[in-house]
Amino acid sequence: MSSIFGNNILGNNATLVGSSSSTAPSIFPPLYDFPPFFTRYPNASTWTAQRAAWSSLILAYCKAHKLWQLHLSDALETELFHNAALGRRLKHQDAVEVLEFMAKEGQVDWIDESNKTGVNVWWKKPEEWGSVIFDWIDSTGQKGSVLTLYEIAHGDLTTAQEFHGMEEGMLKKALGVLVKRGSAQIFGSGEEMGVKFF
Amino acid sequence: MELGLRNVPSGAGLGALTRNSKFSQQYATHGERLKQTHAEQLSTQLSVFQAALLEFSRTHAKDIRSNPAFRAEFARMCTAIGVDPLASSSNKKGSFWAEMLGTSVNDFYFELAVRVVEVCRRTREENGGLIAVAEVKDRIQKQDEKIGGTGTSDVSEDDILRAVESLKPLGSGFTVFELGRRQMIRSVPKELNTDQSTVMEAIQVLGFVTHSMLRANLGWDRARVQTVIDDLLSDSLVWVDAQAEEKEYWAPMFIGNANK
Repeated sequence: MSSIFGNNILGNNATLVGSSSSTAPSIFPPLYDFPPFFTRYPNASTWTAQRAAWSSLILAYCKAHKLWQLHLSDALETELFHNAALGRRLKHQDAVEVLEFMAKEGQVDWIDESNKTGVNVWWKKPEEWGSVIFDWIDSTGQKGSVLTLYEIAHGDLTTAQEFHGMEEGMLKKALGVLVKRGSAQIFGSGEEMGVKFF
Repeated sequence: MELGLRNVPSGAGLGALTRNSKFSQQYATHGERLKQTHAEQLSTQLSVFQAALLEFSRTHAKDIRSNPAFRAEFARMCTAIGVDPLASSSNKKGSFWAEMLGTSVNDFYFELAVRVVEVCRRTREENGGLIAVAEVKDRIQKQDEKIGGTGTSDVSEDDILRAVESLKPLGSGFTVFELGRRQMIRSVPKELNTDQSTVMEAIQVLGFVTHSMLRANLGWDRARVQTVIDDLLSDSLVWVDAQAEEKEYWAPMFIGNANK
């Protein structure tokens, strides 16, 4: 075989190019260094597998970088969707299709359903976030006290917590779960919005 | 007639006949005795051998399970003396080998076989049911790292080949074949035709192919190239990169092993 292809156009053996990301190499699956990963597969069953691989990458990436939201037009320019070393990127319409699939799975929800310009990314489900927040309240003896949403998401006390920096709309959704469970009550509105835990 | 009888030299008459049969009986008895002795010797040797093996397996069962190099050597030794450690493990009685090794070797390969099947099944949508043995090994090792496994995480390609071999009695349809210089596991009952194999080998060597590369290097006409590529695409054996100058066809089965 090598004799037939000894003098090919490339002049040497083509190899898969290594991932450009040195920051968090473990996030990117081997597929990320595989140029066709960035082209939608022509048949449905393989596209399903490809789409699933994209979903897990998106979740892992957002979790590692603590990205609460993806704004598509910006995100498409980042290493998540654009492998600069390969010179390959996922097309806008393919990315939308991946995100639509993720929305069905409850992994993301559209910030604007009509235009589909961005999503909230739930690498933990709202229920899980609710529990994480409640566990923190419980373990720090804050049951019965009132906190503002700002204190929860951006207060000094929560800097070490995984939910620190959480986007406001998402935080409300997570707290909504606790309200339903009967372990929190939300009152006030806007800047003044507070929550009491039981 | 009577005269004739009388002239027969003594010793060559009917008496001789009985005497001959007596001899042959003695020979037979002697032969039996020899056979018996041999059998006894053999069975003594066998029991000595069994005892030695038992001793060996008791001392080394742990190594056999945990050390891939040792395991490979052990398996090679088995092959050399004509014993297949997995051969009769599917019959109910349990193999001589299973008794000897307390099933640890068998268990090891069957557990591994289950994991190989899982990897093949899980990646089938991606790679069309063809995967490099090295890739299976990598994936299994990564799984082990993920769960923080320490135990049997050291698996060699040799182990994987034996594990696939152990599936044969089940009619699993898993086969190992060579594609170029790589050993591949096929988990779908499809055979590659000559053209398809040629293209896959080319991809293995070059990393990818394009229509014009195939036409230039193999002298195939447009229709032939188109047919092969379309077939490979519809079986998910190659993926297309449409962002190159000319469409490039890559094989997912070689991901991560391009330089091996």
